[in-house]
Amino acid sequence: MRSLALNRIDKHGDQFINDAKAVYATAETGFNETRTAKYVADRLSSLGLPVETNLAMTGVKAILKGSKPGPNIAVIAELDGLLVPTHPGVNADTGAVHACGHHAQIGMLLGVATALSDDEVRKHLSGSVTFVLTPAEEFIEIEKRLTLKEAGQIEFLSGKQEMIRLGIFDDVDMAMMTHTTSGNGDSAISIGGTSNAHVSHQVKYIGKSAHAGGAPDQGINALQAATLATNAINSIRETFRERDVVRVHGMLSRGGTSVNAVPSDVLYEGRVRAKSVEILEDIKERVIRCYRAGAMAMGAKVELIEVAGYHALQQDPGLIDVFVRNARKIVGRSEVTVNKPDQTQGGSTDMGDLSTIMPVIHPYTNAAVGVGHGDDYLVEDYERAVNIPAKIMTATLLELFTNDSLGAKKILKNHTPKYSIDEYVEVQRSRFSSTLYEDE
Amino acid sequence: MTPKSDTKSAFLNNVNERSDELERISQDILSHPESGYKEQRTSELVANWFRTAGFEVQTGIGLTGVAATLDTGKPGPHIAVMGELDSLVVPGHSFADENTGAAHACGHHAQIGSMLGVAAGLSQAQIKAELTGRISFFATPAEEYIELGFRESLRAEGQIEFFGGKQEFIKLGFFNDVDIAMLTHTGGETAGTIGVGGSNNGMIGKTVTYIGRAAHAGGSPHLGINALNAAHLGLAGIHAQRETFRDSDTVRVHPVITKGGDAVNSVPANVQLETYVRASNVPAILNASEKVDRALKAGALATGATVEISTSPGYLPAKYDKQLTEVYRNNAASLIGDDNVIELPHSTGCTDMGDVSQIVATIQPTANATSGTGHGIDYLVENYDLAVIKSAKAMGLTVIDLLSDNALLAKKISGSFKAPMSISEYLSRMRGFRSVTMFSE
Repeated sequence: MRSLALNRIDKHGDQFINDAKAVYATAETGFNETRTAKYVADRLSSLGLPVETNLAMTGVKAILKGSKPGPNIAVIAELDGLLVPTHPGVNADTGAVHACGHHAQIGMLLGVATALSDDEVRKHLSGSVTFVLTPAEEFIEIEKRLTLKEAGQIEFLSGKQEMIRLGIFDDVDMAMMTHTTSGNGDSAISIGGTSNAHVSHQVKYIGKSAHAGGAPDQGINALQAATLATNAINSIRETFRERDVVRVHGMLSRGGTSVNAVPSDVLYEGRVRAKSVEILEDIKERVIRCYRAGAMAMGAKVELIEVAGYHALQQDPGLIDVFVRNARKIVGRSEVTVNKPDQTQGGSTDMGDLSTIMPVIHPYTNAAVGVGHGDDYLVEDYERAVNIPAKIMTATLLELFTNDSLGAKKILKNHTPKYSIDEYVEVQRSRFSSTLYEDE
Repeated sequence: MTPKSDTKSAFLNNVNERSDELERISQDILSHPESGYKEQRTSELVANWFRTAGFEVQTGIGLTGVAATLDTGKPGPHIAVMGELDSLVVPGHSFADENTGAAHACGHHAQIGSMLGVAAGLSQAQIKAELTGRISFFATPAEEYIELGFRESLRAEGQIEFFGGKQEFIKLGFFNDVDIAMLTHTGGETAGTIGVGGSNNGMIGKTVTYIGRAAHAGGSPHLGINALNAAHLGLAGIHAQRETFRDSDTVRVHPVITKGGDAVNSVPANVQLETYVRASNVPAILNASEKVDRALKAGALATGATVEISTSPGYLPAKYDKQLTEVYRNNAASLIGDDNVIELPHSTGCTDMGDVSQIVATIQPTANATSGTGHGIDYLVENYDLAVIKSAKAMGLTVIDLLSDNALLAKKISGSFKAPMSISEYLSRMRGFRSVTMFSE
């Protein structure tokens, strides 16, 4: 039965690679993935699966039910591309590009779905598999997404966060996905480790415009305020402990309007990351002081909009074990690396959010070259990017469902989620705020 | 009555007879420089000179100041002719004191010579007989606004209230009945000329202390609060204000870090700065001061440090009296020729003559007799005849013009001078500049 399923992937492997490449060509940024979503929905429908679409704007969900009731395990793929204007693969229509390899996730998800939707395979499943295509994993275009929030179209700014809020994961017991990478060591597959929690800041400096040549004394320079703030942030870096994996970075999205007017409306988009939401709280407060100091020095005002970001990823050890066992069978023992639970490179993912409410894994397949999010990030080895992880996840699912889902049930028994779904939603809501600092 | 020209001739002869002695006194002071409120030897030298010349002398004014008055015996206007006692501290200057580093890198030693020259020239019965009113000679301490820590300790001990010697003179009442004040400074413009007119920036001084938290800079920087970073951000904030300073206000803000930390392997927890805030007018000084303060506070806010900003009254902007300048200009021209009397531009430096100029009609011409850079190690008086003798003559001739004919001209100038502030207003304004602000979150 296991080989039947895996053979189906081998047999249709070219199709899954083509799926990934088709999606690559039509890259779209988060919450805009309409073409990508339609493509995947059509492909899932063609497998005979009932498909729900337009979830959290562009998300897709399809349930494959086994012959017997049992745990519901989600296989996740992310729909969105990034914005890297200098990347050779930029989609001319949208400006987006898959510089993080999410298109490969779609190929592998279709591989898993194809393998499991075989009737012979399906009747051995005691439980169900839910395929979830999640929008907007990349936490970008914050201004645009805040507009969507304002309009009531979303509440949280990432796809998985929003899908959790909307109850799309209510019936899901555990979740897995596989991300491409160009690093994480030399082995084909790696798993384990964590990711950073983060918070996003829209820092709006409000000064006073005036002729920059004729009357600079009448102005209040909001750009100077933002510059001072970034200098201030740099000066507190020495107080960040390595073990807290602090990252503070940002960009000036609006640096002024006309060069001959004192800049009075400046937007700095900041991101603060650390290894947990709790540590983040402390770091964040110190960064906010720096934002305020820039305004204070110039006599400007600063409005800080805090946007709830991601939680740190906690991968379930039991689920890791099952995945590793199956990965070793498929790619060989030496091609699987298991990282320490606290290993991180500082990035963040909304799989972290999902990991606060259920067991998850977020392994990597080493199939790309270049720097993640860089203009040289390219998936080179599509077999490794799509079909191998599809096989490993398929085999992992089959093992979890074996013996009346004994493996899956054991994992659920040993797992204590950090939050209930309601608690998670409450925590996220509390992480939004808007504060105006003036006359300090 | 003797014609005024005869009086002037007699005065010039008197100065000529004493010229070697006057130049020698200036050079003696050059060789024995003393910085502000420490001018013991210089003060004694001046006091002794006046005693020998038969004056009644007051000493110890603002610690080291000296005053002597030449009274014509006829009530009338009161003119103050001044010289500054203090040197700078410029180690490396060829006439620097080996121990203290004090050096006359601003030419004040020549001022004492020129002031005494006026006294020497006018102290003759036949000249006094032609004049009406009084002439006071004020040798004033501490014109250079330096060594703020030392002066702050003098202030704390109650020995002085203000950091500038003329300010102490004003406070102690020496200017209460003065109508006109003058002093000749050396300058480095075209050699052989005398500059008239001009104006000076005013200023306030600030001493700033950032208090952080010490911690091992390698082992546990996360436990520290870096006061040096706070100060650095404060300075960056100050620089970010500069585009808002108007050209016409000639603002100058030029901080120094006087203490940057204690040990390089410890997070700096105590960092100290000093700065001036200068501008051509008081509102601009206050405006810039407010911007400087908020920038300094922002450094503390960003890092979580505490900042103490102690602001002290500095000097007021100097505005020199136009009518008095014209009287002086004519007399200077009579000595060195019309073409050699030049118009001074606004100076962005400051002087406590600025304070004097806010309450009485004042001039501070410059005798361009030096080489090198003002306040630099190479600043030297080259032309003692101009710096001391001709300067004395130009001031003395001006005094004769002012106080002759029943002091007609002095009365006219004094009468039309509109003081920006009374002495009591001056004192309350200066005291109002003083503040100590603590800020932390």
